[in-house]
Order: sequence, then C-alpha cells, then structure tokens
Amino acid sequence: MTRSATPDAAAIAALLGHRFPGGRYRIAHWENFLLTECTGAKLLPDGRVHPVALFHLPLAGAGTSIAEMFALGQAESDLSILIESYDWEMFQALYEDVEYIVSGSITAAERRHTAQGKPYDRIQFAFDVRAPDASPVARTTITWHYTRDTL
Amino acid sequence: MSVEPGDPIPDWVMPCVSAQRMQTMAAILRDPNPLHWDRDAVNALPLGLGKRTINQGPLGLSYMINMLQAWAGPDCIRRIVMRFPDVVLDGDQVTARGVVDSVYTVDAEQRADCRVWLEHDERGILLEGNATITLQARQ
Repeated sequence: MTRSATPDAAAIAALLGHRFPGGRYRIAHWENFLLTECTGAKLLPDGRVHPVALFHLPLAGAGTSIAEMFALGQAESDLSILIESYDWEMFQALYEDVEYIVSGSITAAERRHTAQGKPYDRIQFAFDVRAPDASPVARTTITWHYTRDTL
Repeated sequence: MSVEPGDPIPDWVMPCVSAQRMQTMAAILRDPNPLHWDRDAVNALPLGLGKRTINQGPLGLSYMINMLQAWAGPDCIRRIVMRFPDVVLDGDQVTARGVVDSVYTVDAEQRADCRVWLEHDERGILLEGNATITLQARQ
C-alpha cells in the first residue's frame, strides 16, 4: 500500500468514534501453539492462551485487520506506522476454543507535529473482549502514529 | 516469600530473535508490513539497520510477559503498558528485566506495580513500560 498526499486533518479527526463491526473469535490449539512458540515460551498449562494473542484476537474478533487500520488512517505506506504504545488490561485468562465476543472503536484521532514540525496523525484504537457469558476478559488499546513524508 | 518495592524480577533472556518466528507471527497476525518479513525492505530504509527484519511490537512485549509469568505465575498479569523507543532486530540477543515499584492490596488481592523493559547489551533499552501483577500465585 502506498499513498502520497498527507490527508486533511479534518478527515483524520472524523475517525473519532468509528466503530468496527464487532464479532467473535476463537483461538484454536494450533494457533496458540504457534503464537507461544514465537514468543520463546512453553505452552501455558490447562489450555491457557499466551497473552500475546491480545494483539490479533481483538482485531480479528472486532472484524478489522492491521491492513484496514492502516487504510483508515490513510497510511502513506505499510512502513510509515510507528507504535506509541500498547496497553493491555487482563481481567481473566484466555483459553483455547472459547468463543470470545469482541467490540472495538477509534477513541482518539488527531493531527500532531513532531519537535521538528513534521506532521503525523495519532490514532488510538480500543477493543473490549468478553467471555461467552459477557463477563469482561480484556481491554486493549493500540496507539499508532501515522507518519507523513518521513520515509 | 514476600515482595518488596525495589525487588528485581528475575531476567528472561531471548538469546537470538528469529526472523523465522517473525514470519510465522506475520502470517498469524495477517500483518502486511514487510519490515517484519523482508530484509531487503528494511535495508532500503534510510535507517542504517541493514538486512535484518524488525520484530513485531507484540513479540517484544511477549518477552516481558514471559518474564512476569515465570516469576509470578501464568495468570499474574492484570495490566501491561508498553512503549517502543527502539527496534528489536533479527539476530539480537535481548533480556527482559523488571523491578517492583510498589506493593498494595486491592479487593483482598495483593498486587505489585512494576517497571519492565527490554534491554540490548550495546543499544540499551529497546522497549519500556509498566505492569501490574497479582502476587496471589506466589503466596
């Protein structure tokens, strides 16, 4: 994906409140196995899912993707995104083969400038993960900077 | 065993960050960013990183999770917030480290707030953040 022009600041600000479709997501054993191996850890006991799943489970469950989140912020390219922070709150352990209910929205979207005066757009995405009985499991917040004309 | 402010958390070492694991992670995450799987794309950037892929943020974060779980049990983490001041590259040896800032009780659960970070021997701190954990499994 490659775009050139810096989007209008108003178009970025208009993203605030955008809601993803929402939906459900289930982590299978194979997925947990591979995810956990990527972290260098051993599988957690009793079917627990490694918390690293709290990156992609909320996105997939909410009905979005990294590519769509890049596109919403009109990223210049796949290389232009910088991470400000990831904030993961965990209320219950995740387990394999449980169908989690996920909702998500954009909770901040604004044009900012670096100390050198270069524009970038700060966009924050928040996702709520709930168990089948609707009890809260996790809340994750992704904050990215969409850099402009920096690469 | 009691936990006190200032106590270090035992280190967790990733001896060699793997480009192959980044590729697996990219597939699971459906991550289109070539920085995680195409060494030539990284080399083409004006960052002087050479032909080494950049680790996904969640993978670097996972090393801190592994450290905390090895210390306080698989269900210990209540919250983790991570910032990313520098990149982790394939081939890096990195060490997750942490220290207890405070210990307190919430709803009869003993918790600790900790500073956590990921360190490279030469390039210093690559990731840094804070974690809140329950100490129940250690009691």
